[in-house]
Amino acid sequence: MTETALEIKNLWKSFGGVKAISDVSLSVPQGSLTAVIGPNGAGKTTLFNLVTNLYPADEGEVKFYGESILGLGPGEIAARGLIRTFQTARIFPGMSALENALAGAHMHAKSAAWRQMLWLPGARREERALAAKADALLELVGLEPFRNMAATDLPMGGQKLLEVVRALMAGPRLLLLDEPAAGLNDAETADLAELLRAVRDSGITVIVVEHNMSLVMGVADRVIVLDAGKSVAAGTPREMQRDKRVIAAYVGEEA
Amino acid sequence: MNLAIQIAIGGLLQGAVFAVIALGFSLVFRVTGVINLAQGAFCVLGALLMYTFQVALGWPVLAAALAASLGTGIFGLALGAATFVPALPRLPPSSMLVMTAGLLTLIEGLLLVFWSSQPYALPPFSGEAPVLIGEIRVPTQGFWIAGIAASIIAALLFLIQRTNLGMALRACAENRMAARLMGIDVPRMTLLSFGLAALIAGISGIAVAPITSLEFDTGRFFTNFGFISVAIGGMGSFLGSVFGGLFLGVAEQVAAGYVSSLFANALALALLLAVLLWRPNGLFPVGPARRTDVRDEQRVYRAILRIEGKGGLVFGIFAVALLLALPWLLPGRSILNSLVITGILYIAVLGLDVLMGLAGQVSLGQAGFMAIGGYTASILAVTYGVSPLLGTLAGMALSLVSALALSSVTLRLRGHYLALATLAFGLLVDSLTVGMTDTTGGPSGLAGIPSFAVSGFIFSSPLSMYYLVAGIIVVLVLLLLGGMRSSFGRALKTVRTDPIAAAALGVNVVRIKLAAVLISAALGSLSGSLYAFYFHFLSPEMVGTPRSFEMIAMLVAGGEGTLIGPILGVALLTLLPTVFQPFALYKTFAEGALLVICFLWLRDGMFGALAALVTRIFRRKPPPGAVPYLAGETGKIKGRAHD
Repeated sequence: MTETALEIKNLWKSFGGVKAISDVSLSVPQGSLTAVIGPNGAGKTTLFNLVTNLYPADEGEVKFYGESILGLGPGEIAARGLIRTFQTARIFPGMSALENALAGAHMHAKSAAWRQMLWLPGARREERALAAKADALLELVGLEPFRNMAATDLPMGGQKLLEVVRALMAGPRLLLLDEPAAGLNDAETADLAELLRAVRDSGITVIVVEHNMSLVMGVADRVIVLDAGKSVAAGTPREMQRDKRVIAAYVGEEA
Repeated sequence: MNLAIQIAIGGLLQGAVFAVIALGFSLVFRVTGVINLAQGAFCVLGALLMYTFQVALGWPVLAAALAASLGTGIFGLALGAATFVPALPRLPPSSMLVMTAGLLTLIEGLLLVFWSSQPYALPPFSGEAPVLIGEIRVPTQGFWIAGIAASIIAALLFLIQRTNLGMALRACAENRMAARLMGIDVPRMTLLSFGLAALIAGISGIAVAPITSLEFDTGRFFTNFGFISVAIGGMGSFLGSVFGGLFLGVAEQVAAGYVSSLFANALALALLLAVLLWRPNGLFPVGPARRTDVRDEQRVYRAILRIEGKGGLVFGIFAVALLLALPWLLPGRSILNSLVITGILYIAVLGLDVLMGLAGQVSLGQAGFMAIGGYTASILAVTYGVSPLLGTLAGMALSLVSALALSSVTLRLRGHYLALATLAFGLLVDSLTVGMTDTTGGPSGLAGIPSFAVSGFIFSSPLSMYYLVAGIIVVLVLLLLGGMRSSFGRALKTVRTDPIAAAALGVNVVRIKLAAVLISAALGSLSGSLYAFYFHFLSPEMVGTPRSFEMIAMLVAGGEGTLIGPILGVALLTLLPTVFQPFALYKTFAEGALLVICFLWLRDGMFGALAALVTRIFRRKPPPGAVPYLAGETGKIKGRAHD
């Protein structure tokens, strides 16, 4: 039995009268690539926001490798190795693609700022090592030729990939990707699927919120289905495709 | 008792004017989401036009008042159409705020050119004799002010709440895109709100002119207090604006009547900081909470300026050589003098660049730190005989402590409230330097400050001072450039554009912001101390709030966030009046115009334009294999091929 990377127990959240998340429990094993699917408004993104404490949960428990992370600041959550991306690619404007990737490595730059300011050799070496790592990842996703371009000048597909690279630079144990394929065309989605497999195979646990079924069915080991704030079903992609509750969630109940 | 009533009436009258200006702020804010700092200047424009029509040309009161109001309104429309409306879709709100500070300066500059710098007073509308109610004397103008303010408030509320036009204006405030889709001409509504706000500011200026003495730069006073009123009330809330204005007016008069008029401002500002600390969104907050994982539309268009490879080294050596040779390339005593001042101010602007240009934190109070550094070092040197170097360090220490205290308020604030808190800080320092006459010499300044000296060497000649400042600049720029190309510099930039995404990557947003605040405070303080030691004299206006605005103009004109660029802006605005004497009269106008022009057409300032030119001349060949990114080209990922 592998270790559990993320465990959510009886999580609740309501906005005003709307129950965005009601009594959701799920667990994600280490090393898996889990997809969270569900119709619009099912609470997928809210679930991410609760896990990363962008909003406080009303009730429930979130454990990351056995330790409760509910109520921790975003910095502390990131420091433990839980890194997320956002639904809209939130790359930093006014910075090049390389700088964006390097911004992900913020936690791993050990030299104090004053050492950088004094141009000390040790600090410069560390900086070069980080840049080499970033270049390797940009190379992997095919963005290397555009490393010095303003990141906002990349097309949407490039920005999405860059955001994943940036998250990888943070050295995550668990990567939460919020709709990484939204806005990508089929070919770009195929690229992304390949990247996700590579990430999973390198030992990083991945959770993807996704609408794109071909991506989910192609890469996910496990699928969790949310509907109206409740977790409806969980299993392998193949099981989910045939599950009546899942079909009902997407196309409505049969009369 | 009578005194109390007298004070209360004075306060309400003062407050009525603040309330009307605050309403103008709220109106523009509701429609555009921008605080228009030029508001106060329209007040003065209205009053000075009135002076020209009524006193100089001898028109009857009513005709003069109508012409002056309309004139202000039309000027407002023209200015809005030329600057505010085209800028709105291009600039992020914080830059819009700074641009309106430029508009304020620009209008003040125009007023200075046309009406020069003397104070003006208008005759009251209905004679000088006050009305006696019991034993209370009320100037007749008071009834005019109260009546006009009440009419404006009522008319505006009616317009907004009850008319189709008001509904269209409110729709723009709710959702600009949706309003456009519904066929509302959003730019026109923006212009209308801007012109309407100018009109009511003009009318209130005309009403208040007979009981206040007005000069070309009194507009700042109205802007500051209108801004504070609207923040106390809650930005965008009409009811809150009226309440905030009246409250502030009464509070200020009570402080002036019972404590001291010198500290009335200080009290009002302390009050504001307390309100912001207690309720960061004002007393009557408007607007729903937003989803935080979806980013507000960001409008940061900043080119990435970088010099590749050895280019940086070559450029650096060239720049240092130029710095050393400059006193010989541009000979002349007055030019050398300006060069020293350029260098000293650049140190403060460099700090501002770290805070505003790189970390994206608007600061309207940088001169406050110059004042702390300048006065601390001077007073220690003059009164206690402390060495200039120690005094400078003491000033920096005090500035850092003040910055930490200010941060307890500002770190919780964003956008307009942050700008306001820094403005309040600058004004607070202003009122202390003016008010503490025993220690600072008050408005007449502090004389007899010695030259800067380090272990026996006295920097008494301008040339020695030039090389001292040049040396400091080289060291500072090297330190900051080193810091910027590291994780610290990147973290600063991420905090500027997207603090939420930055935090999710483990950036300690608070710590990074604090570091930027402290760096800028320390550099501001250092600059202030050097300034005092160079002039051997220091007065509040040398390091007052107008200086803060001037430094922002220098920063933006030079090129925000480029560290080196701002020196071009400082040099331009310092050297031009020296080289071209008649320019001195137009300096204020030029500062404002330059800021606005740079925001509209030269987003990266002069440095950016220069860099673009250099890049165009020495365009490098694209690296091999750099085909334009083709969206969806498969096989790009060379990870584990799935076969």
